[in-house]
Amino acid sequence: MMNPSNIVLYEAEYLRLKSILVMTQRDLRAELVLLIDRNGQQIAFEGPARGVDMTALASLAAANIAATDGLARLVGEPEFSVLYHQGKHRSIHISEVSKKFSLVVVFDESVSLGMVRLRVKRATAYLEEVLRGFMRKAESAGSAPKPGPASSSPLYFTDEDIDKLFRLLKPNS
Amino acid sequence: MTFINYVAREINCKIVYYGPGLGGKTTNLQYLYDITSAENRGKLISLATEMDRTLFFDFLPLDLGQIRGLRTRFHIYTVPGQVFYDASRKLILRGVDGVVFVADSQEERLDANLESISNLDLNLKENGFDLAKIPYVLQLNKRDLPNVMPVEQLTKLLAVKGEPVFEAVAPRGEGVLDTLKAVARQVLVELRKSA
Repeated sequence: MMNPSNIVLYEAEYLRLKSILVMTQRDLRAELVLLIDRNGQQIAFEGPARGVDMTALASLAAANIAATDGLARLVGEPEFSVLYHQGKHRSIHISEVSKKFSLVVVFDESVSLGMVRLRVKRATAYLEEVLRGFMRKAESAGSAPKPGPASSSPLYFTDEDIDKLFRLLKPNS
Repeated sequence: MTFINYVAREINCKIVYYGPGLGGKTTNLQYLYDITSAENRGKLISLATEMDRTLFFDFLPLDLGQIRGLRTRFHIYTVPGQVFYDASRKLILRGVDGVVFVADSQEERLDANLESISNLDLNLKENGFDLAKIPYVLQLNKRDLPNVMPVEQLTKLLAVKGEPVFEAVAPRGEGVLDTLKAVARQVLVELRKSA
């Protein structure tokens, strides 16, 4: 039985999410539009993203959101749902998408913040619709019995499978 | 909370290294970074003070290879160990799949170890986890120092549920890989149970 707290992304949902990010990126001519979960995992992204380490960005953005949530509670706010960091040439806009995901937009000085907010609002509505269906599917998959033997699942690793994994980590001699 | 991406054929898991200040959590990560080739790891991010004490977290993504055609990535975090950074520690534990407790084997750090384990238990509960159930490994670090407590005594005092215990000297890498392998194995076995 799949743990309902795990996130499982299949192609159908991915393509729908991706199309929303593509639309948003093109409308804004943004450098990057990235959807992450609150734990720092990148779900999907679109944009040239010149030289940006996506894994690091997702992790730092999630930590930023988490820290800001903490600050909000300290001052008596339920949350700060939007974070905006303005740089000299590039800026970052981070906003909540449902309670479990966030949208990160990286854009340059040719794009106005007002336009970013408008497009993010639109994208958020579409993304939340897809993600609602996606989470519902995950919950019902978690509780439903799986057809076929467990060994047919790609998650049915043997101990030998796990042992082979660490060969890439070798102490220096 | 494991993220399984069937489109990218990836499994992503989160491991957090926990423990008292200056116990060796960051040193563990630095060693792992040093021994992994560039194509199997991402950037090591360290949010630290001017004195190189962890301020918010360290983060290292590791690619351990393929398992059943799925690339297996572990996102490894350390927490700041100093007592007053509790709010940050709580945040870093969000969505954790496995925990490594890095204990400082020195006799004078026993109370700090015990307080940190108690803090871990509390912060896990606040994030909806149970220390009794989560994949968990105990590392007894700094075994090279002269004033360390005997392993058996330290294990008796610090182990919470018969978890695997590893002796370590993190700057030299001793015990570091074994610790990671043990917690990664537990996380994957837990994932297998959910299949």
